[in-house]
Amino acid sequence: MSLKFGVLGLLKGEPLHGYEVKNRFEAMLGGTWEVNIGQIYTTLQRLERDGLVRPVGPRGDRGKLLYELSPEGQQALDQWLAQPDSGPQQLHEDIYVKLLLATRIANGDLDQLLARQKRAYLQRLRDLNRLEERARRDGRIDLARLVRGALLHTEADLKWMDELSSEHFGTEGAKAE
Amino acid sequence: MDGRTFFRAFRDRGGKSGVSELVRLTDVTKVYQGGITGALNGVSVSVEKGEFTAIMGPSGSGKSTLLNMVAGLDRPTSGGVAVGGTDLGKLGEAGLARFRRDHIGFVFQFFYLLPNLTALENVLIPAQLKGNAATGRARALLERLGIKDVEDKYPARMSGGQQQRVAIARALINNPTLLLADEPTGALDTHTGEQVMELLGQVHRDGQTILLVTHDAKLATRHAARVISVMDGKIVDDARLESPERAPSDVIRVRGEEVSR
Repeated sequence: MSLKFGVLGLLKGEPLHGYEVKNRFEAMLGGTWEVNIGQIYTTLQRLERDGLVRPVGPRGDRGKLLYELSPEGQQALDQWLAQPDSGPQQLHEDIYVKLLLATRIANGDLDQLLARQKRAYLQRLRDLNRLEERARRDGRIDLARLVRGALLHTEADLKWMDELSSEHFGTEGAKAE
Repeated sequence: MDGRTFFRAFRDRGGKSGVSELVRLTDVTKVYQGGITGALNGVSVSVEKGEFTAIMGPSGSGKSTLLNMVAGLDRPTSGGVAVGGTDLGKLGEAGLARFRRDHIGFVFQFFYLLPNLTALENVLIPAQLKGNAATGRARALLERLGIKDVEDKYPARMSGGQQQRVAIARALINNPTLLLADEPTGALDTHTGEQVMELLGQVHRDGQTILLVTHDAKLATRHAARVISVMDGKIVDDARLESPERAPSDVIRVRGEEVSR
């Protein structure tokens, strides 16, 4: 998603200035999405240009400007909320490109690369588990749920590596060379 | 005495102080007639006292065979298995049975409780085989595992999660040197499985050495800091995982599109 709808959603409740938007946005996501204040101001300026938010009153102390949602912004937010998340699957799979390239370079000997990647995923699962435990203990249920999603994704990544291992990924390529 | 002290008292009575290596497999090979899967091919590994180790691998990889070797339920075709300094290869059938009774607690996927005995009676079986009257300890274990109320129930009247807890109590009643668990959550729903694993984690924190076979990497890494991967009868990885406290953003990043337009 883009920051745009996050900002619109936060302004739905009450007018906020840039720093409040940043803090609430980061808190909502349990510190898993850090935004710099520059991004927030740029986003607010573009939303104002497009008529989706508008400033409330004059600049306050230290130049703070409060923004509120416009009726058009409200409409854009409602539409976005009602839409399912669709479109192509987003993969950030560096590892697959590495494997494909390593197949050509290393004559199909990818066991080490696969084993190292699996170990990295196991460590990630461990870290996620510990974060989930901490989040639950601290009553941060939203963060715990997000971690749960990440655990399931990482489990899938690990299963994928297992499949590639058991298929002896890369050996077909070596024969074809 | 609170539950924590209770488990610790259990462990200390059975522990051999000063010995950190508890299990050693040396070049263990298991060949099954007729090419049945699950064979082992030259496996060497050791497990230290107090470790919670997960063994992972696809079905037929040999992970359950490995566990059965450690339990003395199966003998290797070649190679050696030692637990707590005892060479299992030197024990006859009666000796192996005694070894299992005195040193091994085993939790299975399908519980294997005796249907015509109550929960309490099931828990007491291993103690009775040893000639111990342990009713008080059995009751305390049931309470510790959160199932005191099913003490007089028969397995058919219990949920899967309750049955598995009874099975864990039975595995712990003789204060085993080693607790082995073969897919203990495999027959349970996600939530119940997590609760059962949480109990195993608690037992481990109180000092119990645990070897767990599972295919669930999420659950394995929740409690085990060591993950051994088995494939085609061989150990292909032996990962000791780190457990630092990391900031949320060092563990997860929610990614947004760049601000544009």
